[in-house]
Amino acid sequence: MTVSNPPSGGRSGPAHVTRFDRRSFLSTGAAGLGAAALGLPGRARAAGRKEISFATASFFGSESFGDLVDSFNESQDRVMVRYIELPPPSSSTEVYQGLVQQLARGNGTPDVFSQDVIWIAGFAAAGWALPLDEFVDADMTSKYFEGTLAACTWDGKLTALPWFMDTGMLYYRKDLLDQYGETVPATWDEMARIGKAAMEAGDTEFGFLWQGKQAEVLVCDAVEAIASNKGGILAEDGRSARIGEPAAIEAIQFLYDSINTARISPADVLSWDEEPSRQPFTAGRSMFLRNWSYVWPIAQDPSVSEIVGKVGAGPLPHFAGGKSASCLGGYQLGLNANTKERDAAWEFMSWMSAPEQQKRIALNFGLGPSRPALFDDADLNEQQPFMATLRPVFTGATPRPVTPEYAKVTLALQSGLSKALVNGEVEREMAALSDQLDKIVG
Amino acid sequence: MSADPVGVARSSVARADLSARPGPALPRWVWPWLLLLPTFVAIGAVAFWPILEGLRLSFTNTSLITRQSDFVGFDNYAGLLSDSRFWNAWGHTVWFTFASTVLETLIGLGMALVLYERFPCRGLVRAAMLVPWAMPTVVTSKMFGWLFDGQNGVVNWILLQLGLIDAKVNWYGDPDTALTTLIIADVWKTAPFMALLLLTGLQTIPKSLTEAARMDGARPWTVFWSIRLPLLMPTLLIAGLFRALDAFRVFDLVYVLTGGGPADSTETLSTLAYKELFSTLEFGYGSTVSTAMFLTEAVLAGILCLWLVRTIRRVT
Repeated sequence: MTVSNPPSGGRSGPAHVTRFDRRSFLSTGAAGLGAAALGLPGRARAAGRKEISFATASFFGSESFGDLVDSFNESQDRVMVRYIELPPPSSSTEVYQGLVQQLARGNGTPDVFSQDVIWIAGFAAAGWALPLDEFVDADMTSKYFEGTLAACTWDGKLTALPWFMDTGMLYYRKDLLDQYGETVPATWDEMARIGKAAMEAGDTEFGFLWQGKQAEVLVCDAVEAIASNKGGILAEDGRSARIGEPAAIEAIQFLYDSINTARISPADVLSWDEEPSRQPFTAGRSMFLRNWSYVWPIAQDPSVSEIVGKVGAGPLPHFAGGKSASCLGGYQLGLNANTKERDAAWEFMSWMSAPEQQKRIALNFGLGPSRPALFDDADLNEQQPFMATLRPVFTGATPRPVTPEYAKVTLALQSGLSKALVNGEVEREMAALSDQLDKIVG
Repeated sequence: MSADPVGVARSSVARADLSARPGPALPRWVWPWLLLLPTFVAIGAVAFWPILEGLRLSFTNTSLITRQSDFVGFDNYAGLLSDSRFWNAWGHTVWFTFASTVLETLIGLGMALVLYERFPCRGLVRAAMLVPWAMPTVVTSKMFGWLFDGQNGVVNWILLQLGLIDAKVNWYGDPDTALTTLIIADVWKTAPFMALLLLTGLQTIPKSLTEAARMDGARPWTVFWSIRLPLLMPTLLIAGLFRALDAFRVFDLVYVLTGGGPADSTETLSTLAYKELFSTLEFGYGSTVSTAMFLTEAVLAGILCLWLVRTIRRVT
């Protein structure tokens, strides 16, 4: 038995009536009785609270997720949430391992967790994430972006609650577009033409920068190209490959051609991930860039950017007849299937995903809300004007293949796509990749 | 036991007294083993148990995701033999080990011979030489990332200025150059380590031998080829063994610089095992890759050790 909390701490920690309490209660007589009488209701309330835990990758802004958890604990007196901090999202492999180890134990800790969109199907198929259908109805789900809901759904059941998101988007040189009298390109061909023109006019060194390094980001770039041609990497049910189809081949061929025939991208993109491709763009050396939302504040920072006020961002181009697609990223909330406090956990996670909290996360962390309605919010548009441009981009949010075998699928994709982009045998490599994927998910 | 008056008083025959002392009688041969026991336990726990556990896992289909853990016999090994990714990584690893060890040995030997001679500021140069080796590999990797950067790298700039190339080379984005660039980075980092080992080897060679040879009119080359090199051979082989075993598990350079790409051209056994073990959480198959790596390394070490033993016999 531990020595009791000081009376004022009754709310913030687990309270026990200890031997010390009883002894001091007996020995101090009437005065003690009075103090205890005042203290007891608070303690009883604290002791009656359901305790749950929440594990999440640690994001940083002007506050941390720990502060949000504190706000929740203070906002009501039914549930007490313990915050478990995992590594930052840049170490996502470590976050993944940490979560898997905890969830595999099956002891109900953490009750609520946040997960990268690509882990959702795996956690659901392993039986670690509770389907949320008993808590949500169509009225609730209609308030979220469709692409995010698709990523949160496994086997026809919603197994994660949308939280915040990020997607790929097209950054362009607004000043140069105005100068040429062009509008923001809607198709890849238009983009290639304008990019080439900018290079030939000597205004920029490169037309279009993207990420071709054999890494996760290559899969994102490929998803965007393929989906904007009405193609897919896996079939809807996630049990067979579609990457050998002509739509996908044409899309990957376009990426290859951007380096080798159109020559709007340097061959260096094959070894570039996000930052190496961002640097030449903010140095004013490229007309277009495909990247995530983090580039915006950097592009507007005069100490590192040559193109302050000359940049625009919007949805990525698409192929003729297709629709713009942007690869979905971000962390979504999951409910541990082994939790002993189902309702308390749900209360907490629905609070986290509620409009007020999503707005707070957007304002203080700069992370995009998964609720379209928030983009009409006056405060948000005033303080984070960039958020308004995200709405059309998020509307086209496309999940990466939704399958419990995603970890294997992505390794095969990274290797196969990289081979196709290096040797140019797109059709042959996609056929080989398709066979490989069929074996993994079939 | 200072409280034992007999032992203190007659220290010259303390051993006889100890055995005569009353107490639990343990056979004498037990004592050394008993005293070694903590060491055995410690080494067993941190070295042998993980190897055995890895071996056991390699015969199972253990996966954290599917939560299976069944004995599957040699299925994983059969899969490994027909896995083109494995052989691709195996080939790269062997080539990386061979090329980097040979280059580091030759360059290290050259450095050691220079640093053995007397010249001003030798101490300073000897210390400065160790800087690359003392640097964390991740830092080296980042540094070489910038040096060999396709767009802004100083290597491309120098080669262009010298007229050796007529267009920028995409060092890390081209499968033909990516692995070579990693080898260069590794050689830069580890040649000083070889130089240090070989320098100590050179210092053990008696000066009288080289002086005698010189007085007999031997040229410097003959002194090196007939006296120093044969006597240095055991050190050279030990250093080569260390280096080869170390180079074989190359991980950080690849992980930071290329992630195994482009087109799998820099995938090594360590990065492949890491991906299997920690990205897909397939502990069974991942352990098979690690075990295969362990076996290859054991063969490599065996060959080098045999060579070493024969050389030492010849020299002594």
